[in-house]
Amino acid sequence: MADRIIFAGILVLTGVYFWATSQIPTLEIGDPLGPKAFPRLLGAGLIISAVMLLAEMIKDRKSAPAATAAEPHGTSSYKVIVGVIVVTGLYFIMFEPLGYAVATSLFLLVMTNYFNKGKRWTNVLTSLIYGFASYYMFTKWLGVNLPRGILPF
Amino acid sequence: MDTFTHIINGVAVCLTPINLWYTFIGVFMGTIIGVLPGIGPSAGIALLIPVTFGMNPTSALIMMCGIYYGTKYGGSTTAILIRTPGEAASVMTSIDGYEMAKKGRAGAALAVSAIGSFIAGTLGVIGLTIFAVPLSSMALKFGPAEYFTLMLFAMTAVSTLTGKSAAKGLLATILGLMIATIGIDLQSGQARYTMGVPEFQDGVGFVVVVVGLFAVAEVFRGLEDIYKGTGAKAMKITGPLWLTKEEWKRSIGPIWRGGVIGFIIGVLPGAGGTIASIMSYTTEKRLSKNPEEFGHGAIEGVAGPEAANNSDTAGAMVPLLTLGIPGGGATAVLMGAFIMYGIQPGPLLFQNRPDLVWGLIDSMYIGNVMLLILNLPLIGIFVQLLKIPSGILYPLIIAISVIGAYAINGSMTDLYLILLFGVIGYVFDKVDIPVAPLVLSLVLGGMMEQSFRQAMTISGGNPKIFFGSAITITLVVMSVISILMPFILPMLKKYKEDGKDE
Repeated sequence: MADRIIFAGILVLTGVYFWATSQIPTLEIGDPLGPKAFPRLLGAGLIISAVMLLAEMIKDRKSAPAATAAEPHGTSSYKVIVGVIVVTGLYFIMFEPLGYAVATSLFLLVMTNYFNKGKRWTNVLTSLIYGFASYYMFTKWLGVNLPRGILPF
Repeated sequence: MDTFTHIINGVAVCLTPINLWYTFIGVFMGTIIGVLPGIGPSAGIALLIPVTFGMNPTSALIMMCGIYYGTKYGGSTTAILIRTPGEAASVMTSIDGYEMAKKGRAGAALAVSAIGSFIAGTLGVIGLTIFAVPLSSMALKFGPAEYFTLMLFAMTAVSTLTGKSAAKGLLATILGLMIATIGIDLQSGQARYTMGVPEFQDGVGFVVVVVGLFAVAEVFRGLEDIYKGTGAKAMKITGPLWLTKEEWKRSIGPIWRGGVIGFIIGVLPGAGGTIASIMSYTTEKRLSKNPEEFGHGAIEGVAGPEAANNSDTAGAMVPLLTLGIPGGGATAVLMGAFIMYGIQPGPLLFQNRPDLVWGLIDSMYIGNVMLLILNLPLIGIFVQLLKIPSGILYPLIIAISVIGAYAINGSMTDLYLILLFGVIGYVFDKVDIPVAPLVLSLVLGGMMEQSFRQAMTISGGNPKIFFGSAITITLVVMSVISILMPFILPMLKKYKEDGKDE
């Protein structure tokens, strides 16, 4: 099933890529090949990979018995990962408004409390110490620019 | 100056206090990164690039390479004590190493991996020292057509050898090349595939892609494991951290053989440390008088693969330094680091910056000695790292990745990109699309297009130039063979089996 989706995905991508390549404006001066030739080669490469995938799919259907048993937690573990992605996305959205130290501490608090259950004090201390200590270390010692946000320092 | 003088001068470069210090930092961090499951050399090196900006390139590269070969030492500790490879190439060690630990011989297993790694690692660096000059002077004769076909071969070999499916490997390679075409085309000045995002005019940064694919995606996988409750606890180190006379006798052969296998596999593009250690393991099993012991704590099954995956790193440095073409994911990231410091690895580097090249190569001898000390008498310190709960470790890796990604340009786009590539890496893993070929082709993409266009300009637009010399023809034929190999091999096998039946 996954392979069929990948196969369809390659075909769509090839189409989009060829279209996007045709949109690149060109001036025929100097460089005889221009900026489109190499991308066209890549488009051809995509088609080759699609053909190879098709060949592998046919070969697999002949040899392997399909349909393996679904793993336990199958869908619920995906839900957790979607949750992690959403929390990480929120962290990035709040990154500049709140500042690195505050946003990072909050993100770590949420994540550790879910994935390291039952150790509340360890989680709180780690999150706060890491958030503020790393902010201090990177901005003051290593000269890395990190957003200050709502902090006065 | 002749090569020998350069080598001696390199010793002087790497023995300066500052470079000794960075060698130490590199191998120390390499061991940590190796011990920690969930973060490997690629992510470790990529995360450090932005933080080390402004450092002297020689010191920075000495440190980055230290991380690369240091991870192989650290990875075995995790494999032996929790049966999870701390680093992909130590997967074979987790079989017999863990069995040895269960029998109370964890000390011996750790000792043989550290000693085997040291002997084979040093053997590999000697190989690198010997082969570097002849190969780089050969590469000096390469024109753009030779370079294009060489890169083609490296990419096709990596495509078919890294994943379960050659088609998906090739897909990953092409995707990497496509990402590399995003941004202003340097020859015509035209913007390509920027989708109206101004940040994309400079292209998609490779640090961002590597951090996303290797660090963030690995965190998603790790958190999923915690949720499923598949995490394991570390065993205690039992037994003395040394070998008995008999164990020593049994290990020395596998170490030498593993060292040679690893170096050869390392030089060739595509295969890499994991395949080297698997090959060493099967070789030892075949040579052994008691093959039934393998899988139940045979010391040969730890000594050989550990030796192989360490000499592999030195072998992999050969094409990177002499040809400027990495043969796998981690060396591609190293090449990216070189380029970000304004250093182009390749044959010219041996002429223009012998101090840097030989300082780097010579530092690997010292780094291996340091690693032996860190991973044998001092291993107890690193084992403490395994006590960090993964529920804290994985979120911390995201926070560290954020600094690495944001520090390059101070751009929010880069943060969203690491999340995007993290999701892509997680999904690709689920559907068996390998990410190492993508990183390799992303790093080489710009060079590949440039040499393609230069070659075509020289030939006046005639593609025959790619079949114009013995070198290019050989490389093209080898590329075609490596693409067709997964289809030809099963047919040959079937043909043989059919023959037997009749």
